[in-house]
Amino acid sequence: MSDLIVVERVGKRYQTTSGPVEALHDVSLAVGAGEFCTVIGPSGCGKSTLLGMLGGLVTADAGRVLVDGRPVTAPDPRRVALVFQEAGLFPWRTALENVEFGLELQGVPRERRRAVATDLLGPLGLRDFAAKYPRELSGGMRQRVAIGRALAIDTQIVLMDEPFGALDEQTRLLMGEWLLEIWRRTRKTVVFVTHSLHEALALSTRVVVMTARPGRIKSVLELPMPYPRAMESAEMVALRARLWGEIRDESLRAMGER
Amino acid sequence: MRVPALRALILVVFLLAWEAAARAANPLLYVPPSAVLPALGRLLALDSYPDLVESLLLTLREIAVAYGLAIAAGLGCGAALGLNRVIGRAYGPILGALYAVPAVVWYPSLMLFFGLDAASKIAFGFLLGFFPITLAVLAGIRQVNPHMLAVARAFGARPLTVFVKVMIPAMMFTLVGGLRTGLALSVIGVIVGEILGSKSGMGSLINHAYGLFRTADYVALVLVTLALVVGSDAVASLVERRAQRWSD
Repeated sequence: MSDLIVVERVGKRYQTTSGPVEALHDVSLAVGAGEFCTVIGPSGCGKSTLLGMLGGLVTADAGRVLVDGRPVTAPDPRRVALVFQEAGLFPWRTALENVEFGLELQGVPRERRRAVATDLLGPLGLRDFAAKYPRELSGGMRQRVAIGRALAIDTQIVLMDEPFGALDEQTRLLMGEWLLEIWRRTRKTVVFVTHSLHEALALSTRVVVMTARPGRIKSVLELPMPYPRAMESAEMVALRARLWGEIRDESLRAMGER
Repeated sequence: MRVPALRALILVVFLLAWEAAARAANPLLYVPPSAVLPALGRLLALDSYPDLVESLLLTLREIAVAYGLAIAAGLGCGAALGLNRVIGRAYGPILGALYAVPAVVWYPSLMLFFGLDAASKIAFGFLLGFFPITLAVLAGIRQVNPHMLAVARAFGARPLTVFVKVMIPAMMFTLVGGLRTGLALSVIGVIVGEILGSKSGMGSLINHAYGLFRTADYVALVLVTLALVVGSDAVASLVERRAQRWSD
């Protein structure tokens, strides 16, 4: 089976003022094309580090990361797009110009990239906000612009690091539904980091649970059930309890460490 | 509406107090506004100083060159110090220490190096304008949200692209503030340079009038110079406000 993303026994240490910290230890993972793979775990478990490695922003101390069979050494915006927890929009650019950013870096001519970005604003729910600046947009809208910026470069893989983490719960739920819609339409491969059990269960084809620091893979949960999922069904409630059981111990450990 | 009225009021009070004080004292040294106004008229009619326009243009040219050089060098040095951690740590503190030295102590050596003509004024205006611009670039680079830099990198931006497309716009507000201070100091540098020793330019006219006790002419010349400075600062503040609206 050919996996689009392969993580082989990666490890990562950070030097901090209070000595070295092991963020990841011997993590292996494979993600197939078209999957929606969620990584969940307690704070500081190295989820973001792992995602940074997939995106070429963080180098592994041990092991290797392959995308499409090639080792990842630097960001590759032709194959991988990133969305961060903070929208990270450029305040001097309008929503439309922010969506265009990646295409602009790739040297796509102005008319072409404007057309691509304009077409994206519809499904983003931002059609009337093209000329607005980030400060004029709500948190959810800003995050949709950031997702639009990632979708605009039309990569096979989209990495999302707690994209809805800074939003209120209602907005979060709606954004999840919206993202699901986008993902089902585009069939991109998504690796999604979250703290939210709900997001993990509602969105993913697979959930990867990580341990407290140093981050290891604790368990993997396959979720083959169709979308949209009835989150109040007995099956989903049971899965939620099981997932929470897995994460609870790790969260307690992570809290005890502080 | 009230603000302009209050400003006009303080001006009137000031002029009246000046008039009264000057009349009570020696009018040769303490010239009253009623004598300045005719002097200003003679000056602008090119009666008292026929080379006023030439002098003004020379001073403006010197300022333009000094300020242009200060911008170029300030951006270059600021970028070099701000983008390279080693260079920044090596030379940043030296720059700060030099900025703390009262710049006028350099002026005699600048006159020795560059002579009494425009070059030494340009050099002095450059020296004064250079520091605030460089330091603004340095501070601006440090203020850029690292998150934006990560985004740019994730989307494949190379260092120069990051500087041009992300850092410059992100630090525009700080940068424009430094550019404005730099302009004010370049203007001061050139005019002080002219006053301290030169044969032409506004500073030299001021020095001449002052040296001959033509106090009314002297004050009129100062007023013209003041208009020049206020005018250039008004343009700079306009640009600054535009930049403020533009960044966040």
